[in-house]
Amino acid sequence: MAGANSNIQVTDLDFTSIKTNFVKFLQSQDTFKDYNFSGSALSTLLDVLTYNTQYNAYYLNMVANEMFLDSALLRSSIVSHAKLLDYVPKSVSSPVAKVNVIARGGANNTTLTLPRYSTFVSKASKGQSYTFVNTDTLNATFYNNTATFNDVTLKQGTPTTLTFNYSSTGNPSASFELPNTNTDTSTLLVEVYPNPSSSAFDVYTPTTNFLTLNGNSLVYFLEETATETYRISFGDGILGKKLTDGSRIVVYCLISKGSDAAGANNFVLTSNIGNYSTSTISLLAAEGGGPKESIASIKYQAPKSYSAQNRAVTKQDYITLIQQNNLGVTFDAVNVWGGEENDPPVYGQVFIALKPSGGYTLTEIQKQKLIQNVIKPISVMTVEPTLVDPDYTYIQFNSNVLYDPNKTNLTAAQIQNIVSNTINKFAQSTLNTFNSTFSSSDLTTEISKADPSIITNELSIRVQKKFYPNLTTPTTYNFYFGVPLQRSTFLSGVTTAPALQFRNPVNLLENIDGIYVEEVPVTSGGIESISVINPGFGYSIAPVVTILGDGTGATAEAFINTKGNITSINVLNSGINYTSALVSISAAAGDTTGQNGGATVSLQGQYGTLRTYYNNNQDAKTIFNTNVGTIDYVNGIIKLSGFGPIQVDNPLGQLTISATPTSTIISSSYNRIVTLDPFDPNAINITVTAKTT
Amino acid sequence: MANITNVYSDIDLTFSRQPITGDVSLVLDNRAVISSVRNLLQTNFYDRPWQPSLGSNVNALLFENITPLMETTIEQEIRNVINNFEPRVKIDKINVSANTQEDGYNITLQFFIGNNTQATQISVFLERTR
Repeated sequence: MAGANSNIQVTDLDFTSIKTNFVKFLQSQDTFKDYNFSGSALSTLLDVLTYNTQYNAYYLNMVANEMFLDSALLRSSIVSHAKLLDYVPKSVSSPVAKVNVIARGGANNTTLTLPRYSTFVSKASKGQSYTFVNTDTLNATFYNNTATFNDVTLKQGTPTTLTFNYSSTGNPSASFELPNTNTDTSTLLVEVYPNPSSSAFDVYTPTTNFLTLNGNSLVYFLEETATETYRISFGDGILGKKLTDGSRIVVYCLISKGSDAAGANNFVLTSNIGNYSTSTISLLAAEGGGPKESIASIKYQAPKSYSAQNRAVTKQDYITLIQQNNLGVTFDAVNVWGGEENDPPVYGQVFIALKPSGGYTLTEIQKQKLIQNVIKPISVMTVEPTLVDPDYTYIQFNSNVLYDPNKTNLTAAQIQNIVSNTINKFAQSTLNTFNSTFSSSDLTTEISKADPSIITNELSIRVQKKFYPNLTTPTTYNFYFGVPLQRSTFLSGVTTAPALQFRNPVNLLENIDGIYVEEVPVTSGGIESISVINPGFGYSIAPVVTILGDGTGATAEAFINTKGNITSINVLNSGINYTSALVSISAAAGDTTGQNGGATVSLQGQYGTLRTYYNNNQDAKTIFNTNVGTIDYVNGIIKLSGFGPIQVDNPLGQLTISATPTSTIISSSYNRIVTLDPFDPNAINITVTAKTT
Repeated sequence: MANITNVYSDIDLTFSRQPITGDVSLVLDNRAVISSVRNLLQTNFYDRPWQPSLGSNVNALLFENITPLMETTIEQEIRNVINNFEPRVKIDKINVSANTQEDGYNITLQFFIGNNTQATQISVFLERTR
């Protein structure tokens, strides 16, 4: 048969390659020669052998793949690997909304109870209305005929109750399957009754931390099953309390539609509480929610969870453990930094900025829960975790596109659409996270590539801040744009939208509407510095420096060296209201030899002023307040001082401040996020021009 | 046959023993080719893994009504499978004649093997078995 030197390839998985390898192997012998003829008996045998080889090789390859977290493809294998790393993949999670519920008609001091899982229906959002429920039982007392349940947290989902009876012989592992794959596991409530007729029960809580358990801990363990459902199991009397025979387990949970219901608003309670008529005031539209954790995410998070070992020490530990919270909140981006990096430094604190999925900020209750239940128990004792909201800087894009109509049959509107999609895609992939960088030139390149008919394009951007002004108390606001701002030229200065209403300071009963904030066009300032352009010679005493210009009050002093040259000029008082200035240097009294010294002046340019104006009855622009704040052009900070409008002419009450950056490269760090506002119809403005020939 | 020796050698599909050595016995030269031709005729499309086009449709044709057209079709089928998969054989003559009494076809195949000038002839009776 085969000679000692014939080698057979064993790496192939393809039928033909395996067969070719066998044929090559047979070529080294001459007993059987017909291996190459399809009809031969040898060929038939080779086929069978090849088929068998391929079958085994494929099977082994599959098994080997599924054996490792990195290469596994089946969700059940990945979940199983994650289990070894003590990682429970996150379930689908429901969006959360907030409402006040008011009941009317009860006698004073009567207590009214809003039962758990009372059903609220949202008004149709995206053509679909959703059912939300409150997850806790709440009480309120009637006062003046009304009882108000404040800040009721609603979660989307269908309440489901599952009841299991435990028998140690029928179910020795004390585990119970929750059959719905869309169970939001953060809403699980597990009650254990000692026997089916008992009315007393214990509430069991989930745990993954085995170090603190004993035989009396009322805990259950949660895991995902191979069929994507969930299983809860109970302790064995050593790690967690053991169930007694005949106990009844009642599990309450919500079956969620994930993030589909995000944005749902205007909730209505479907039935009255008691016999009282109720009304619901929506405080916060539904936010957040997300699908079941993806395979890619499990592969990414599970090893990190294992390396963090349930202790938040390093930056990555915090990020991993926050992402894995069991509160049902998912995050698009998490950034963590030590307080020593702040200016001024704050020692002993760690700052955490979070951008929740599908929303902009966390609610106060979510923040408290995150700190108390997720971060505090695992962080180093002396380190104080502080949650900060992300500081959003919105970019408004103004794009001019020139295209060649001979190269395309698309209309200008279609080109506009393509460009708009390109900008949106660019914003999605590069912005909207911490530590991101926006580069204008990258985007222009993308736009040029968007369609072959686009000849060229130019892009200008404005940076915006959006906030809800306090309408009752005048407040001071600081906005950090994180990029140097341009001084006002025509139509490019700082502006705000929409119009504001202020109380007339002269007649407090009267309101003035249509007020806007603008940058004072030419901001006159003082002297920033004086630089010596000719040191002169022969000065025996420091010469006298006089500043001439249209402002007043600026003074400066000169310094000379031993050779009689002027070395520097120091501004003592920068003065005010200079728009231009000259320096005159004259020899001091008693100095007969000093001459020829010369210097130039740099005017202050770092700060600008903001004012408010409106158009009066005769449509004449009237200044309402000459100074409502300052602009620090160099550091990109806008400050509104004692800003107290009484109304913002916008249904949301949101005010937008826009400014033009000097740089088109905008980076975000710490808690800053640069983003495109998907809800703002003016966020992208595109002008498409056809080239005429 | 005498002037070509041991050019082709194949395993015997009956797996009979060579009486002296006890090894599996070989079929040589003409017999190897003939057994290969028989194999091809008896192989249906999709019989062999990953080689769906290997074989002939003769098996299916035996279940059709016996007509003169069918004789030609079977003949063409045999010609195709041999031309496609048996390069050692050059077909000289194929004779397919229906045997209506026994519901089958008498097939006589005459061919040359390699450069051998002496024709080889095989006769088979093909009938459906189920």
